Amino acid sequence: MPPPDPSLLNRRSFLARAGMGMGALSLAPLVAADSPRPHFAPRVKRVIHFFLNGGPSHVDTFDPKPLLSKFAGQPLPDSLRTERKTGTAFPSPFKFQRYGQSGLEISELFAKTAAHADDIAVIRSMHALVPNHEPSLMLMNCGDSVQARPSVGSWVLYGLGSENQNLPGFIAMCPGGMPIKDSENWQAGFLPGAFQGTFIDPQHRELDKLIEHIRSPHASQATQRRQIDLLAALNAAHRDSHPAIPALDARLNSFELAFRMQSEATDAFDISREPESVRAAYGDHVHGRQTLMARRLLERGVRFIQLWHGAGQPWDTHDNIAGNLPKLAADIDGPIAALISDLKQRGLFDDTLIIWGGEFGRTPTVELNESGQSKLGRDHNHYGFSVWLAGGGIRGGTIHGATDDFGFRATKDSTSVHDLHATILHLLGFNHEQLTYRHAGRDFRLTDVSGDVIHPILI
Amino acid sequence: MPAPSFSLPRASLSLSLAAALLSPARTAISPPPDALQHWAFQPPSSPDPPAATDPSLQPIDRFLRASLATSGLSPAAPADSRSLIRRITFDLTGLPPSPADTNAFSKADAANRPAAVAALTDRLLASTAFGERWGRHWLDLARYSDTKGYVYAREERRFAHAPTYRRWVISALNQDLPYNRFLLLQIAGDQLLPPASPDLAAMGFLTGGRRFIGVTHDIIDDRIDVVMRSTMALTVQCARCHDHKYDPVPTADYYSLYGVFQSSTDQLIPLHTTADAELKKRQDALASAMASHRSDAAQRLRSRLADYLNAQRELAKYPEEGFDQILSPSDLIPASVRRWRDWLHTHASPAHPIFGPWLTLATIPADQFPDLAASALAPLLASNSLHPAIAAAFQSAPDSPAAVASRYSEVFNAAATHPDAPGSTALLALLNDPSGPFQVPATGIVNNELFFPSDTVTALWKLQGDVDRRLIELNAPAALILTDMPHAANPRIFERGSPARLGPEVPRRLPLILAPHDRQPFQSGSGRLELANAIASPQNPLTARVFVNRVWQHLFGAGLVRTPSDFGLRAGSPSHPALLDWLARDFIHSGWSLKSLLRNLIASRTYQQSHTPANPDASSVLDPDNRLLSRAPVRRLDFEAVRDAMLAVSGDLDNASAGPPMEITDPANRRRTVHAWIDRQFVPGTLRSFDFANPDIHVATRHETTVPQQALFFLNGPFAAARARSLAATSASLPDPDRIQFLHRQLYQRPASPAESASALTFLTAAKADAAAQSPPPPPSPWSCGTGAFDESSQRTASFTPLPHFTGSAYQGAPAWPGGPTGWAQLTATGGHPGDSRQHAVIRRWTAPASATISITGTLRHEPAEGDGIRAFIISSRHGTLLAADVHHRDIPMAVPSLTVSRGDTIDFLVDIRNDLNSDQFLWSPHISNSDATWGADLDFSGPDTPPPDLLEPWAQYAQVLLLANEFTFTD
Repeated sequence: MPPPDPSLLNRRSFLARAGMGMGALSLAPLVAADSPRPHFAPRVKRVIHFFLNGGPSHVDTFDPKPLLSKFAGQPLPDSLRTERKTGTAFPSPFKFQRYGQSGLEISELFAKTAAHADDIAVIRSMHALVPNHEPSLMLMNCGDSVQARPSVGSWVLYGLGSENQNLPGFIAMCPGGMPIKDSENWQAGFLPGAFQGTFIDPQHRELDKLIEHIRSPHASQATQRRQIDLLAALNAAHRDSHPAIPALDARLNSFELAFRMQSEATDAFDISREPESVRAAYGDHVHGRQTLMARRLLERGVRFIQLWHGAGQPWDTHDNIAGNLPKLAADIDGPIAALISDLKQRGLFDDTLIIWGGEFGRTPTVELNESGQSKLGRDHNHYGFSVWLAGGGIRGGTIHGATDDFGFRATKDSTSVHDLHATILHLLGFNHEQLTYRHAGRDFRLTDVSGDVIHPILI
Repeated sequence: MPAPSFSLPRASLSLSLAAALLSPARTAISPPPDALQHWAFQPPSSPDPPAATDPSLQPIDRFLRASLATSGLSPAAPADSRSLIRRITFDLTGLPPSPADTNAFSKADAANRPAAVAALTDRLLASTAFGERWGRHWLDLARYSDTKGYVYAREERRFAHAPTYRRWVISALNQDLPYNRFLLLQIAGDQLLPPASPDLAAMGFLTGGRRFIGVTHDIIDDRIDVVMRSTMALTVQCARCHDHKYDPVPTADYYSLYGVFQSSTDQLIPLHTTADAELKKRQDALASAMASHRSDAAQRLRSRLADYLNAQRELAKYPEEGFDQILSPSDLIPASVRRWRDWLHTHASPAHPIFGPWLTLATIPADQFPDLAASALAPLLASNSLHPAIAAAFQSAPDSPAAVASRYSEVFNAAATHPDAPGSTALLALLNDPSGPFQVPATGIVNNELFFPSDTVTALWKLQGDVDRRLIELNAPAALILTDMPHAANPRIFERGSPARLGPEVPRRLPLILAPHDRQPFQSGSGRLELANAIASPQNPLTARVFVNRVWQHLFGAGLVRTPSDFGLRAGSPSHPALLDWLARDFIHSGWSLKSLLRNLIASRTYQQSHTPANPDASSVLDPDNRLLSRAPVRRLDFEAVRDAMLAVSGDLDNASAGPPMEITDPANRRRTVHAWIDRQFVPGTLRSFDFANPDIHVATRHETTVPQQALFFLNGPFAAARARSLAATSASLPDPDRIQFLHRQLYQRPASPAESASALTFLTAAKADAAAQSPPPPPSPWSCGTGAFDESSQRTASFTPLPHFTGSAYQGAPAWPGGPTGWAQLTATGGHPGDSRQHAVIRRWTAPASATISITGTLRHEPAEGDGIRAFIISSRHGTLLAADVHHRDIPMAVPSLTVSRGDTIDFLVDIRNDLNSDQFLWSPHISNSDATWGADLDFSGPDTPPPDLLEPWAQYAQVLLLANEFTFTD
């Protein structure tokens, strides 16, 4: 690892001192900051987030509401305003069943994932602020609906760094192109650009389309080796007249790193190096491939991976859920189940955090078209929805909180997005109130000014 | 991104204080009572420069040397000529000096340094490159972008005005527009300039921020932030939700500024002089649609008056801005409900002749209405102050709140239907008041979209987009300005930042910091001009200090105050407070001239000293951060300077600045980086990895990170390779030793040392040996796959179009199969399927690599019984059809025993659908042999030939290394 860039270090430590200083704190952690320094022993080292962009329906997946059948076709006593007009109670067309020792109820849409029910903690009482995709994506990913703020992955990378210098530490994969709000979802905000998520479209199979500039079109490895050696000689002579300026060495070393990165990245993204049985378990389709790619990356020290379902907002199921949801769920149910088994087999499950969810849920009432007729789908619902977690530190087979009898609004143990973020940081060893960054006159944190760790779902 | 190879404090740890600061509920922190006495809020002092033994020392040096002396340090020796001209040229223009400039300067410098530096400074300040460099510094603060960020699909996402603003900034700096004027025009140009003045472009400073999908509160927040931090380094934004925790900025001050911007609307103005008929047509279409939709909306507002009044009793049902609903014309519009709320709050009192009864009755609970309404109304009716129509309507007491609303509705509808009836005048005036609740505000769609049903919003944005797109197409200068609304309104505080929690009204006025005594509300319009005047005033304690500190930062690596956009209580003290004050006063005294400030700073001995300290050990211990400037800082060029320098030294730089902005990643873009297209929604990875200023936020100091992506960009990306090729080409005529010298002078402004020359020659020898040993590229495959038709009259192939898509195992017309114009056409190693018609027969073509006598073997199989089978042909370009067969549900040998071909002749194996498209898949893998070789369609099957890599030749490899070296990227 190259030495730190002192100008940066000095500026940062100066800022930290100037801001909070008054001589009351130890400078040591600010100065020797190369290695990860969580606030306490972390439970997990890495995170993989299945992002069901568009807003997956909780009442059709992880939050069964039998009362909807009873009230089918009747207006709900307390129907809430959402983006579009909705009508009467709309029972789920999918069957729920109890799974595992815990008896966790999961719908047939996620029957394969359900085999791991005892590993999963479902938060059924999530809520966001508004029923619109854009602000809700920002809230879920960056902790603020509107302002340019660093994403969860960027904060984690800022806090922990990456375990592998030769690969991006924070990767967002989305088959087919960008989700709504594009790279804002994995932005670094006011943090240095180095902490931003690297976008990868796993539909591509060629490495140079996955990572920009990863291969040279104009020089062989041998040529590059010779070039970097000459570069080192030139830089060494230059350094003789510039003693004690580590930024110079950092830049020199970055060329060596880049040289190594070319071969390491080739290996990490090449799933053909996996045995046939493993590839078959994940499935030979883009979601299977991206999940398997993600496992190879996690294994190699990538810190934070988001797997988006696809370009745009595939889970935005305003109509015909009976037809659409089974297809969407089938894309990822197998890969999720395969990943959990695979991580367990490799001994990685216990220090990996798996997150499943979207930016909000769906209404228990049916969406209406302009003439007031049923679209057989559901509108956005930010008042109550489900997210589940599995992996290190998670108390499997638990349910946290609840929505009302119909699934419209979180009523018991209402859980904010800040609470979820606080919990993610907690599992990574951070007190979310203390992971801060000075910007524009204030110390910012992922959780703004609130957020409580959800202890009941933790071991 | 990979983990960066620099260190940041990973987190500010174990700071219970910090935690407390962030948790207002736990510990209330507030500014100290004497916060207004903070140094930065006091007028700059008028310090005398310390005495110096050397009378030739400038004031700047006297201040700095005094503090060095106090610390027991000496200044460094003067920098050598080459370091100095590199430093000055990069600092002023962001470009390197040419070898000729360097030689000329060295000579002049040897004779008289002050004169040489002054002449150099003047020359560079007069170049357009100066504005391009310093303009970019300002654009960092102004969060410049060519796009609005994320918008809904209905809206044009590109700004029509952004490039004009950018050019204005560059040109203003080149003209040395006084800084106070520079600020005034950017904040209140609309009130200082004649209509259509080109200087209106300045207002892009306010209007160039992210659009936050139209949410007013956030757009205004961005504008407050960009103004207050850029000009005065005040973090007023912190007071949006609560009083500022450290600085004396109460929440009320934030909303006083909010009111200024809330009382201004955006207006897009074309600044070009030649009329464009198409533009006019689109503007007219927009204007007429807007007029008609506003009129429809006004109609609905009047006819639904009762509903809008009833809605005032259940405001919670109407969500705030930011909670978007799809609205149809029959829905109540939440923004109009709020407009009624605000209008009633501002205008209606119990004494109001029209809405007095409403207000009086509004407080009565519904269940007590029948009992209390009559007695509440009695005094109003008795007072005779009510409008006659209202008085008549309320002669009998209404029995419910709904009845109140419907009586108002009847009164206004009657007035609208009978405009000539006595008493209608006052009612009509209210109905037609453009600022009133019965009308949609008379603004562009950008400011009134919330008042329309969703479909109308889409229609109007499309028309606005047509105008925007025309301006962009024409690359026509345009300004997006703010203008004051006819009726400025006082804002109400949003408690804890939430527009749903309306607090007290506050006047539009200056923040306390700027007017600690005797603060008055703004007098004129929104107050924006008064605000601008207060910012650009010589009496403002912050503006000049903040600006000279920024300039200092760009010349010395860090500001005298190291938080250039936060001069509040937590900013820390300036390293040299008296110097900062002296510079601020001198700057104002000079007429706010940036160029004269730069001349003074560059003329200082401190600026001109060497990067090697007089006493390195003492300097590293006593001045580790170089706050005392015991040496010149060694600085890394930012992305723009590195890229521009590479273009400049390779002779590739295109100095054009006009014309539409180009993508930074476009290989054809050889312009200066400042002119590139900046899309805040899609910032290229390259720019991000080089710490380019985030176009969403005001950036006062760029991050400086070193990550391998930067190295990959230079090593593998096309940009540096293209520059290296140019350098190799330019120097190609020189003998080797001279060529090495040329490259060193061109890039580093110095000759190569003997050791450098020697290692260059060693490198080149090895690289040339490698290049010679390169095996020649493999010959192209003789097979190709395409489609075409069999020409019945000539009995030959009528045409051949290659099948464009290769899947790894098949050639076909499109990524999906069947797909594309050729439909089912597909060829694999062993067979295929003809395209959908006889025009799209599949053709496997063999091109003879040499003249020979060959034989053709192979069997064609068509299996299915369905359909009518296929037609197959073997066709020679020299001899015509060699073999033809109709094949259906059988195997047939397709052999030609002997045939002479010349180099370049083709043999086509053509299959079409015969008469109908039904079950036409076939197996046919012909082999062609001569005496010593066999070419098999299956054996040789491969993807399309890849062109041989365009490798850098040895001199280009060498030039690339020189471009990548630290000496190129750092200045001393």
